[in-house]
Amino acid sequence: MASFLRHYGSLIGMAAIVLFFWIALPDTFMTLRNWLNISQQLSMLVVVAVTMTVVMVMGDFDLSVGAMASLSGVVAATLFAQGMPVPVALAAALAVGLLGGIANGVLVSLVGILPFVATLATLTMFSGAAFLVSDGKTIFGRDIPQGFSDFARSGLPLGTWGDHPVLLPSLTLLAVAVTFLVWLVLEHTIYGRRLYAIGGNVAAARLAGVKVSHLRLSAFAFTGVGAALAGIMYASRVASANPVQGDGLMLTAIAAVFLGMTVTRDGQPRVLATVAGVVTLGVMDNGLTQLQVDSYVRQVLVGAIILVAVSISALGRRAVRL
Amino acid sequence: MPELRLRGLVKTFGPARALDGAELSLRGGEVHALMGENGAGKSTMIRILAGLDNADAGEVTLNGAPLRLGSPAMAKAAGLRFLHQENHVVPALNVAENMHLARPYPQRFGLVNWTALRQAATDALGRLGASHIDARSEMGSLGAGDQMLVRIAATLLADEVAPWAYIMDEPTAALTGAEAAALFRAIGELKAAGAAILYVSHRMDEVMALADRITVLRDGAHVATRDRAETTRDEIIRDMTGRDMATLFPQRMASSGSPALAVRDLRAAGLGPVSFEMVEGEILGIAGLSGSGREVLLRALIGAVPRAGDLELRGVPLAADPAGAWAQGLAYVPPERRTEGVMPRRALAETVTLPHLSRLANFGFFRQGRATRLVRRLAEDVRLKATGPNQPVAELSGGNQQKVLFARALAGDPALLLLDEPTRGVDVGAKFDIYTLIRDLAAKGAMVIIVSSDLPELIGLSDRIAVLNAGRITETLPAAGLTEAALLTACYKRES
Repeated sequence: MASFLRHYGSLIGMAAIVLFFWIALPDTFMTLRNWLNISQQLSMLVVVAVTMTVVMVMGDFDLSVGAMASLSGVVAATLFAQGMPVPVALAAALAVGLLGGIANGVLVSLVGILPFVATLATLTMFSGAAFLVSDGKTIFGRDIPQGFSDFARSGLPLGTWGDHPVLLPSLTLLAVAVTFLVWLVLEHTIYGRRLYAIGGNVAAARLAGVKVSHLRLSAFAFTGVGAALAGIMYASRVASANPVQGDGLMLTAIAAVFLGMTVTRDGQPRVLATVAGVVTLGVMDNGLTQLQVDSYVRQVLVGAIILVAVSISALGRRAVRL
Repeated sequence: MPELRLRGLVKTFGPARALDGAELSLRGGEVHALMGENGAGKSTMIRILAGLDNADAGEVTLNGAPLRLGSPAMAKAAGLRFLHQENHVVPALNVAENMHLARPYPQRFGLVNWTALRQAATDALGRLGASHIDARSEMGSLGAGDQMLVRIAATLLADEVAPWAYIMDEPTAALTGAEAAALFRAIGELKAAGAAILYVSHRMDEVMALADRITVLRDGAHVATRDRAETTRDEIIRDMTGRDMATLFPQRMASSGSPALAVRDLRAAGLGPVSFEMVEGEILGIAGLSGSGREVLLRALIGAVPRAGDLELRGVPLAADPAGAWAQGLAYVPPERRTEGVMPRRALAETVTLPHLSRLANFGFFRQGRATRLVRRLAEDVRLKATGPNQPVAELSGGNQQKVLFARALAGDPALLLLDEPTRGVDVGAKFDIYTLIRDLAAKGAMVIIVSSDLPELIGLSDRIAVLNAGRITETLPAAGLTEAALLTACYKRES
């Protein structure tokens, strides 16, 4: 029983949540339109969470991703405002993510600071930098090129619904592409196998010839770029950028990875499990909003669900060990 | 005088019988040595005494009354105290606080009474003849020997149950000569105060100097309990090994290959300069006490610690990092398999393939099918008992975990195999498999360097044995005809 709960408890819980909203919202929840909407809302979170998974397989984590998403959004928007071509501005924003990620990686792997401390410090710095770059203001309106904000509204036509075309949002496609890429890297390359080895036993990995500090550094760089990409996606979706708009992504992304870890057989972070975690959190948010549950109550409920899932998984694991 | 008796203990782990009728009687006022080869059942017996494992059968009595030992708390209530090889201390707290970790701090008005705390610690240290240790110094600043004295002194503090028996498992493994001498004085004080000491050690010299009685276990069974005054080293060694060496160690091949490894002036922290050469197919044993640099030597060869010197394998300079060394055909089986070797909670295939990932990939993409086939073949070669490549390593017995590491080492068809304590905690059956593997590999031309504290093993397997003393090779002896006593004497000999 305990092992059944451990292996399938979270999956059953996730299915139960979907079923609950399906019954509670018979007309609006289980519709293509709603799910396409959810997928677009979640696309940024998916990108942050799956790239966060890259560092979490090593047992590390990165607290600076939310601040980095904010920073990259305002960097792109500020460059737009100064008349830079869109590709150049986007490349610059991604480069900021890469540099920030490398900075985290250097602090963690070469200097040897705990990830918690190192990324908490860079979180503060990235956040401050976002205010400096944007002068503390929201950049919007004519400063944001039409082509950039149109991207978030575009999509792959799936057919029509009455007069409206039904689109598979470009942001969703982008999130799927990033997920596929990270899945490929973590599950099917020797780079990914080595990251999992570091998480499995860092001393053994080192003696077996794994270049631990190089890999840790590069993994943090990966996560930094993911956060920057999410920031750009966010800016495109709301056609504006302000210095705090990505901040909320960090805690939810870490929560999603933990939620995903309750699904995997061996309790390790896995990309597809992370996506399941993101979807669970997103579905709850969407469903509770539609049920007009107060947003503060919503927060309490989401936190409680995370605790329940992780507790069941932890208790199940302990029961198996006894 | 209190007396603890263990009779007819049986304990099985899966198919392996760790204890098979073990016996022991421990009396107050004696030092009782518990001896046996690796895997003889000493650790299992201690784990049962400590309440960490339950025996499947057998009886434990204290002063004739049955004693239940189901948990560490029960062992403590029976007056037993355990000192393991590793020191369980909090380095950042001071000596007095470390001594009070498991018991209430003296208090006054609800606040810690620091003066009384220090005084109690100082008194206890004094009773142990360890007054040189200041109760106020930081625990982390003490050497391993002083830390051990502090932990023994802690048991002398007032407690609900006064301890009467001390179980010490290889207490001198990490100690210098002077530290060991201080420990022996402390043991003398405890014994004089009427305490019993169960002293588990491989070191014949220590046992012959300290023990009043000696109990020998072999393959989990009781062989003999002898008075030290009426026995000899040879008799004890016969008790421990029991069998004819020739049956345990496979036939020795004559190695007469061409020179293939040259090590000149190798230096690392606590090692060197060390120079030696090896020929193809040779097995070189490294003997030495702990702290002699034997562990560092292998780590320096695999490139896991900073090193200097000229090292050449088949004419090519050796890479100075583990990744390069594995790629060049070195393989390393570390001494601590759980913390440095395997990934306990992961599929055993992940541990086996880890150093060889580059060769198991196309353009960076891992070839799962090829890896699985390799792991299956190797598992068969090393006679691994596992349900399959995906079984987590932690579910395997110690011997099979060690075989996982051997499979990993063999995966690259190594030119030079580095083995540190290759059969520590391994049962006799698996031991024989491992010995056969080592011999087969050497017969195919690979060179093997073995570090082991198990002297019969070293003599039985090696072609030559280099003796390390204080980081240098003091002697290199041919293994054929070498006796354990002669080798031990060489280990103890100080450089002139």
